[in-house]
This record gives sequence, structure tokens and C-alpha cells, in this order.
Amino acid sequence: MAFVNLKNKLIQVKIVYYGPGRGGKTTNLEYINRKFQHRINSEMVTVKTHGDRTLFFDFLPFDVGLVNGYQIKIQLYTVPGQVKYDATRRLVLRGVDGIVFVADGMLVRRETNIQSLRNLQENLASYKKGLRTLPWVLQYNKMDLREQGIPMMPIEMLEQDLNQESHRPYFPASALEGTNVVATLKKIITLTIASIRKELL
Amino acid sequence: VIKSSKLDTLTSELENRLDELFREDGQPGEPLQHRDARSSQPLAELKKIVLSIDWEITPEAVESFLAQIRLLREAYPADKIVTMFLQILGSLGQYIKSNRSKAHPSTFSLLNSVFARLEEITSSPKMSELEKRKLLQMEMTAYQQLREKISQRRAADEARPVPPAPTAAKPPAIPAASEVTAPMLAQAVAELKEFFRSEMAVLRRQLKIDAPQ
Repeated sequence: MAFVNLKNKLIQVKIVYYGPGRGGKTTNLEYINRKFQHRINSEMVTVKTHGDRTLFFDFLPFDVGLVNGYQIKIQLYTVPGQVKYDATRRLVLRGVDGIVFVADGMLVRRETNIQSLRNLQENLASYKKGLRTLPWVLQYNKMDLREQGIPMMPIEMLEQDLNQESHRPYFPASALEGTNVVATLKKIITLTIASIRKELL
Repeated sequence: VIKSSKLDTLTSELENRLDELFREDGQPGEPLQHRDARSSQPLAELKKIVLSIDWEITPEAVESFLAQIRLLREAYPADKIVTMFLQILGSLGQYIKSNRSKAHPSTFSLLNSVFARLEEITSSPKMSELEKRKLLQMEMTAYQQLREKISQRRAADEARPVPPAPTAAKPPAIPAASEVTAPMLAQAVAELKEFFRSEMAVLRRQLKIDAPQ
């Protein structure tokens, strides 16, 4: 649930990057942190295993600044993608306001994408939330690998698997190269703020 | 109408602010490089796992390693040299899986070396086929040498006199690997509890950051 303080005109929203393990969620945040650090003036907090996989989550808070008289603060989180960390994923989803589902575009990851989306739905249900009501967007990541001859899913297949019912905004992306990382982020922030606008007016 | 107008203003201001904040203009503070460029995404994962195995051989790390090798073999079906490198890595992974910490010490240096060559090849698009083959040949030779060392060690172990079998009345001084004794179990439980305690402490600290002021 977004934190809205009408008296102080402060809005704080929580956006979670969700998706299968090794799909590029952390890479998204790392890109944002590295590329815009001089503007967002923030530090990315990350808790990893010694093998450098996300064990708990990554956390990147930053201020958007004053918008229409409101101070807007954004908190970006990732969840660990590995199947065994389901309890952590559920915990990170608590109070979520917007979601970026980062799907892995590699053909061999087709089933893990579908499982991860199903897992997201189940975990949201435990908070009595759902993908029908929450703002969320999809990012089809690793599109740069197509150039290397690695079998990738066509966008149509990803759409059919993950977005057929929801028709949410989607972004073919390469988190590693930064392609559409910012577009994804801007979209989810705009949708999330729009979703809480009733509280603002 | 007033509400709708206010919303439009809010959305429009927000979009402008986001454009300003995330303007991709290549300004200073952008140390983005093509991290190992083309190769990095699939191999970056393998690198992490190789380093992880080098640090500690856990069943999870070894399984991840083998899974990643399978994935890469599917990803590079047409590249024979890369496939050969992956085959060597896969064989080393299987050997480590079977022998864990008893694996020959040279296995881990070879694992790192083979991976480093593979990384070099995949991140150097201008490297000639001849150079790639030379690198592959070097690693294959090292792999054969390791196999010989392992065979020699196995032969030496087998040649050693077998100690007399303990009598049925006397329990073995050191329990077999598969045998779990009560003190071992208690210690494992204590370790697990400590692990969870420390991890939860970290998690709580992180969640405090999240808490609204």
C-alpha cells in the first residue's frame, strides 16, 4: 500500500521487479543505479549469497522530487528468483504498489517464465491482491542475445504465454545494455502514481 | 472536471520530471560498459557459479553449474569450439559432483582456466579460428593430464593395504558419511538455527529501511 501523507504532501510507492531466477531483475536495478546515480543520489542496497545471486532482495530508493506539490519517493525492490525462496518473495511483495514482471526471452526459459507468473499470482493472492487490479508491466529481457544466435522466443509467444489475458504494457529489453530499462521504469511509475490518484485529490 | 484537470496536470508533471531524471544523454556518472559485451549474459551466470564452487562446493552450486552448462550447450549448438569447452566443463562438473571435496585439487584450477579461455573466446569476436583451436587444444591437454593424475591417484589408493574390518562388536571410530548420529544432528540443527537467526537479523535491518518515517 502506498504511503500517502496528505498533510506533508508526501507519496511513497513500492515497486517490485518480479520474475524467474537469472532473468535480469537485479541487472535492471544495477543499470538504473549506475547510469543515473549522479541524479538520483541514492545507494542500492543488496543482499547476495557468496555466489552473487540475490538471496533476499535488492533495494533502490530514490526521490522523484516535487510533482504538482507532492514529494514523490520511489522504492524499487527485486525478489530472489530461485524457486526455493518463495517465502522471501512473498515478504517482499507485502505492500507492493506496482510490479515489473521481468521475463527471460530465451526459449529454454519459456516454462520458468510461466511458472514465475503463476507464483506471482499465488503470492499476491495471499495478500488479497491480484494482477487484475494492481498496476504492472512486462519486460521481455535479454533480447540482445538474439544476435548471438541463441534461440529466443518471439514477442508473440511471450505475449501469448504471459500477457494474453491482461494486455498490459510490455517492453522488449536488454537490461544488460540498458535497452528499454528506463522506459519500463517510467511506465510503471506513471501507472502506479495514477492508481493512487484518488487519494491525492 | 476540476479533478480530471488536476489529474492531467499531475500525470503530465510526473512524466516531465521522470524524463528529466532519467534522461539518457551520456552525461558523466555513466560508467556503463558492455560488460564483456556479447558474451556476458549467459557466461556471467556461469562465471558466478564457477567462483561459487571455487569458494565452497555445495550440491546447489554444482547442480546450478551443470544446469547452466546444459543451457549454454542449447544456446550455442552451432559453435563446435564452444561446445567442446562446455563438454570439458561439464565433465569436470560431473567429477566434482561425484567426488565433492575429495576431487583432485587440480580440478578447480583447471575449471577456472577452462572457463577463462571460454570467456576469452566468446568475448573476442575478432579472434581467428586457429587461435581458438590452439586455446582449446591447450585446455584439452590439461584435461587429459588431470585425468591421468586422477587415475594414478586411484591406482595408488587401491594399492594401499586395506585395514582390517572392524569387528561387529566395536562401532567404527568415525561414522560413515551416510550415518547420522545424535550429536551430529544436534550440531546441524544448531548451525541451521544460527544461520536463520543471522539472516533474519539482516532482513529485519533491511525492512527497517523500508518502513515509512
